[in-house]
Amino acid sequence: MIKVLISKPGLDGHDRGAKVIARALRDAGMEVIYTGIRQTPEQIVQTAIDEDVDILGVSILSGAHMKLVPKILELLKEKGSKIPVFVGGIIPEDDAIELKKLGVIEVYGPGTPTSEIIDKIKGYFENANI
Amino acid sequence: MQISESQIINGISSKDRKSFAKLLSICESDPVAANRIISRLQRKDAHVVGITGSPGVGKSSIINAILSKSSNRRVGVIAVDPSSPFSGGALLGDRIRMQSHATDQNVFIRSFASRGALGGLSPSIFEVCDAFETFDMDMVLIETVGVGQSDTEVANIADTVVLLLSPDGGDEIQMMKAGIMEIADIFVVNKSDNPASISLKTKLEGIIKFGGKDIPVILANSITGDGVEDLIKALDSRFERIKADGTFATKRKKRVFFHAQSFLRRKIDTIMQSIHSEETDIEKIEKELMKKLCSK
Ligand code: B12
Ligand SMILES: Nc1nc2c(ncn2[C@@H]2O[C@H](COP(=O)(O)OP(=O)(O)OP(=O)(O)O)[C@@H](O)[C@H]2O)c(=O)[nH]1
Ligand SMILES: [Mg+2]
Repeated sequence: MIKVLISKPGLDGHDRGAKVIARALRDAGMEVIYTGIRQTPEQIVQTAIDEDVDILGVSILSGAHMKLVPKILELLKEKGSKIPVFVGGIIPEDDAIELKKLGVIEVYGPGTPTSEIIDKIKGYFENANI
Repeated sequence: MQISESQIINGISSKDRKSFAKLLSICESDPVAANRIISRLQRKDAHVVGITGSPGVGKSSIINAILSKSSNRRVGVIAVDPSSPFSGGALLGDRIRMQSHATDQNVFIRSFASRGALGGLSPSIFEVCDAFETFDMDMVLIETVGVGQSDTEVANIADTVVLLLSPDGGDEIQMMKAGIMEIADIFVVNKSDNPASISLKTKLEGIIKFGGKDIPVILANSITGDGVEDLIKALDSRFERIKADGTFATKRKKRVFFHAQSFLRRKIDTIMQSIHSEETDIEKIEKELMKKLCSK
């Protein structure tokens, strides 16, 4: 059973994408926890650890991703956690490359079919379990 | 990333949240290992409180309000939401209402999917509840799946059952029918901002009196926190009372039996899932089940 946390950091009210992803992952047989909007990186990281999730999903459409995502990665590292991070939302290509360099597994923009995201997550786990 | 049982035990003894989070995952995946780890840890009797009631009545919100007014004690929250019978997946949303306590060091919230268990709980509920008692909790709140009239399982595990009703449920008559009303130790009429809550409270008190019982009915607003202090007081005084009059000891003794029952049911369920679903001969299924049960 794959357990996922979908989180929305910062003052970003765009929650449609996060909810679409949460529902799609549930329908793909995963257990999905949604934090709701307006979360601090601290809340998100503590929640991911307490819930012992397999994947941390971060949805950002506000433009603040270059501040919030590195902060989340830093806090995870600080707490000795190796939970893989996936990011989605409005992320310019250069920023996406930068975030992946920092350790984000994958970055998804508008219009990504949810099936692609599901395949990637499932594939990631099949490889990780070998 | 694997961590060993002794690492988990050492971690929990020093209040490490990550180790405790791992133990809860083991409760879900491997009850035998979970029981073995728990038996090696110190336990403290927490007040285990079941919070139950119809979908949307305000269970998660009132837990959040209780957490906000319990800063001086350690509280664990076990929040159960339903699994989809079709995909097996689940959307665990109770936590959204409690996120202001996510970084509170005295609070530990964990979400569980019901994974087909009956009674609005999860298959691992007994292991999980025992596990919380190894993490130095004063109180453990169990939020059930928004339940129907006959979901009374929570009374087998909780020391105290709180049943929430709300005036917009329009459900007082349904609730009176059976089962769920009978397991309540404390009633909360939630959403007191709705004027109809007053008459619901009066009706409920009438019903309780008619039944010759003495069960508190508390009027609350989970959003503003009004009445929540009364609820906490009622919970604390009940906990004192049941510890003094022996009810607590009896309940705990029974809980061990219910735990065994749940553990064995889960074992049988797991075996049943491994038996070919096209087999139609009940006797053959039974034989195979017995064979697999005895070989373990
Ligand atoms: C709908 C919308 C709104 C709605 C939001 C409703 C809601 N509750 O969500 C409303 C009208 C409220 C709104 C308001 C604002 N908006 Co607006 N909004 C949009 C719009 C048109 C569509 C967003 C959407 O819902 N898409 C549908 C979902 C399904 O797609 P998605 O979120 O992108 O998700 C997909 C992927 O990104 C990915 N994904 C997303 N999250 C995650 C997470 C994980 C883990 C994974 C794996 C994948 C993933 O998968 C999804 C499926 O493909 C976009 C423009 C656009 N085309 O994207 C602007 C847009 C996001 N908004 C914008 C702005 C500026 C605002 C406002 C600030 C406007 C203002 N000045 O008031 C406010 C801010 C509100 C706030 N509190 O944050 C800008 C953001 C600019 C930026 N980031 O640089 C955009 C890009 C428009 C633009 N071109 O300027 N908005
Ligand atoms: N007006 C009012 N609304 C409330 C009150 N308590 C809860 N609500 C609202 O009722 C809705 C459901 O609240 P929850 O706390 O999620 O209810 P729940 O019983 O946990 O729901 P499930 O877990 O889905 O069964 C939310 O929109 C709350 O904001 C209250 O006292 N007054
Ligand atoms: Mg709830």
